[in-house]
Amino acid sequence: MQAVRSGDLGALAILFERHHRSLFNYFLHLNGNRDLSEDLVQDVFFRILKYRQSYQRERPFAAWMYQIARNLNVDSVGKRQFEVSLGDKEFPAVNLMDENLKRKQEVGLLKRAMARLPLDKRELLVLSRFQNLKYEEIAAILGCDAGAVRVRVYRAVRALGQIYFELAGERAS
Amino acid sequence: MNCEDARTQFVDYWRGSLEGREAEFRAHLAACERCRAEAEELKDMWSTLGALPEEDPGMQLRVRFYDALRDWRQREAERRRPRWWLHHPALQAAAAMLILVIGVAAGYLVRGRDTSEISQLRGEVYNMRQLVALSLLQQQNASDRLRGVNYAYRVEQDDPQVLSALLTTINHDPNVNVRLAAVDALHKFTDQPVGRRGLEQALAKQASPLVQIAILDQIVELRDRSAAPAIQSVLSSQNVNPDVRQRAKWALKQLQ
Repeated sequence: MQAVRSGDLGALAILFERHHRSLFNYFLHLNGNRDLSEDLVQDVFFRILKYRQSYQRERPFAAWMYQIARNLNVDSVGKRQFEVSLGDKEFPAVNLMDENLKRKQEVGLLKRAMARLPLDKRELLVLSRFQNLKYEEIAAILGCDAGAVRVRVYRAVRALGQIYFELAGERAS
Repeated sequence: MNCEDARTQFVDYWRGSLEGREAEFRAHLAACERCRAEAEELKDMWSTLGALPEEDPGMQLRVRFYDALRDWRQREAERRRPRWWLHHPALQAAAAMLILVIGVAAGYLVRGRDTSEISQLRGEVYNMRQLVALSLLQQQNASDRLRGVNYAYRVEQDDPQVLSALLTTINHDPNVNVRLAAVDALHKFTDQPVGRRGLEQALAKQASPLVQIAILDQIVELRDRSAAPAIQSVLSSQNVNPDVRQRAKWALKQLQ
């Protein structure tokens, strides 16, 4: 990022190669729309270029990048509703003899539970679990302290658990 | 440690990042059945959450990114050019004359040479194309690899990396169409000995008659006499396709 900031725009290609997949998945978890997520990834990198002078070298790059991503996502929310991909909506009720199938069903349930989670909680789980960011990094993105992030991540996990076990209960009954 | 403190440490516990708080946390868990049960119950879900498969964005994203980056760099380079004289209308005529004279003189002096900025820009655009060509050639999807071969045409200089990627494609790509396109694209690299030798070597390795014939045609077009032994060895092999045999004989005759 230092190179990009000092005018070497080619270095952006390295950042793109390193981060575009995780960014794409970040957006996809938040909006459920592949096309929109690809557009947003593209926008993130061009905002990085546009605002490269405002990057402070002592800040972790990932935190700065996700802050940009987050703002873009906020802008795009409201224009569209979350879309759960069709494949996740229906899972056939079958005997859970097969471990593999059981696992698949758990994954399907969990995706549905994630989709029902409020956006702020879902985002915390995406950052902490999928992007594996530390509390300090998430705190830098959200503009709060790491202690608050720890509490909020726990609440998000618990909220997801409630929805998940509710859905599992519906299936079982 | 009370229940609320302990619960907010669950995620650190699952991640194995409790550090100094571990003993206290474990002591609480051992003593409190509710927290223990909740930690157990949510732990499975947390690990399933981590195992959710990541999705890959479409190839189009990469292509669009590199195209947009190239446009951006061109704009930046144009923006940086000094245009102070535009703001001094009184000097315009004189400046225009001066620039004309300097331009003509400089044009003669550095004929064939670009200003450093333009050549730097060209170099950067060129690097982008090289990167896109190389990354497309490694894709799973045959149509993406075909596009990679097409990008190889846009690499202006004789680039050893793109050349070697094309040769690898000719020798190892599972798809005949991609291999054929790569043989065509190799044409611009045949000024180099490596390109010509690569073509000769690929002839023996090919299983597809179509590709073999395309290579033979290319050798004839180049009038590359040094390839004659390679053609001979194709002719002498046992299970060569009749069409290829015929074409190889014709090629040898052409090269004589």
